[in-house]
Amino acid sequence: MHEMALMGDILQLVQEDAVGKGMDKIEKVELIVGEIANAMPDALRMAFDLLRDQNLHFFSVHAELVIHREEAKAICVLCGEKYKPEQKIALCPICHIPSGKVVAGETFQVLSYEGSNGR
Amino acid sequence: MKVTLRTDVLTNNNKAAEFNRELFQNTKTLVMNLMSSPGAGKTTLLEETVRVLAGKYRIAVIEGDLATERDADRIRAMGARAVQINTHGGCHLDARMVAAALGELDLDEIDILFIENVGNLVCPSGYDLGQKHKVAVLSVPEGNDKIPKYPQMFMRTELVLLNKLDLLPYLDFSVEEAKRDLAEINPKSNLLPLSARTQEGMHEWFFWIEGAYLKWLQQ
Ligand SMILES: Nc1nc2c(ncn2[C@@H]2O[C@H](COP(=O)(O)OP(=O)(O)OP(=O)(O)O)[C@@H](O)[C@H]2O)c(=O)[nH]1
Ligand SMILES: [Mg+2]
Ligand SMILES: [Zn+2]
Repeated sequence: MHEMALMGDILQLVQEDAVGKGMDKIEKVELIVGEIANAMPDALRMAFDLLRDQNLHFFSVHAELVIHREEAKAICVLCGEKYKPEQKIALCPICHIPSGKVVAGETFQVLSYEGSNGR
Repeated sequence: MKVTLRTDVLTNNNKAAEFNRELFQNTKTLVMNLMSSPGAGKTTLLEETVRVLAGKYRIAVIEGDLATERDADRIRAMGARAVQINTHGGCHLDARMVAAALGELDLDEIDILFIENVGNLVCPSGYDLGQKHKVAVLSVPEGNDKIPKYPQMFMRTELVLLNKLDLLPYLDFSVEEAKRDLAEINPKSNLLPLSARTQEGMHEWFFWIEGAYLKWLQQ
């Protein structure tokens, strides 16, 4: 389970940026998590709750995590078919040849955060 | 106040990976990141690799484990330089841990550096360590379903070593099926069936390493 480590990195990125902008309370964090980005939304939510509760000096008790899923997409280099890659990521459903390239679904970003200066 | 970041979550890891990559480039060190589930045979493969290639190349190994110095000791016993990273429960190596371990190695004196990642088919695949090549090890007793079940590992590796081929007669593993499954996930990846125990197929792996090293020097 590396979602704890990932959330640690996420909160650190947010905190560094927020401090630079003079904020001292984070209310909300929004992520984009691709369907094949190698991170599980549920595990990320659990990690967020845990880490928020350990860092209440910087995160509001009500701070929420919003996860936007980026759909996985692949495109066949032979026939141009756009398809949703399942387990057989590279297998084109039209050509039945492993000729697909992943073009979306690997994104894993901190999209935004909301914070305030509580003092 | 809302702030839009659009920052990659792995930004800090990726920066460290770039730092490592530049160091490897400047010191002409070819680096391979070996990943597999626990017990697939990474350390055994590396022991054999050191035994056969150490006369020709200066080899070092970074060993990633949750705890203990065992794997590093096994490599040292074969006569190669080994640095142990203990992740203290962490399920993967990240580029910062590798950067720290590099402090214990003189890269100018190393031709090929192997990094044995923590045994885990999920987490290590997402972390760039700055390596030139990502190699997965899969072993016959794990069964045919591992490639389709962990596509996120196999879509990101360029070579799969299918180890413990000596156990094929006792199990229902199909090498053909594994090749087909791998091609359907990552057509650019090769599958090399071998046995670190009996040496069957190992020359192909050594051949691959030597080819990769030549290419690396020429680039
Ligand atoms: N039969 C057989 N056994 C092997 C082979 N290669 C390794 N083993 C055995 O498999 C077991 C695990 O091997 P290791 O090399 O320690 O595996 P590992 O991937 O380094 O394991 P972790 O570092 O714990 O993830 C040991 O008992 C090895 O002797 C092989 O080709 N055939
Ligand atoms: Mg090992
Ligand atoms: Zn097609």
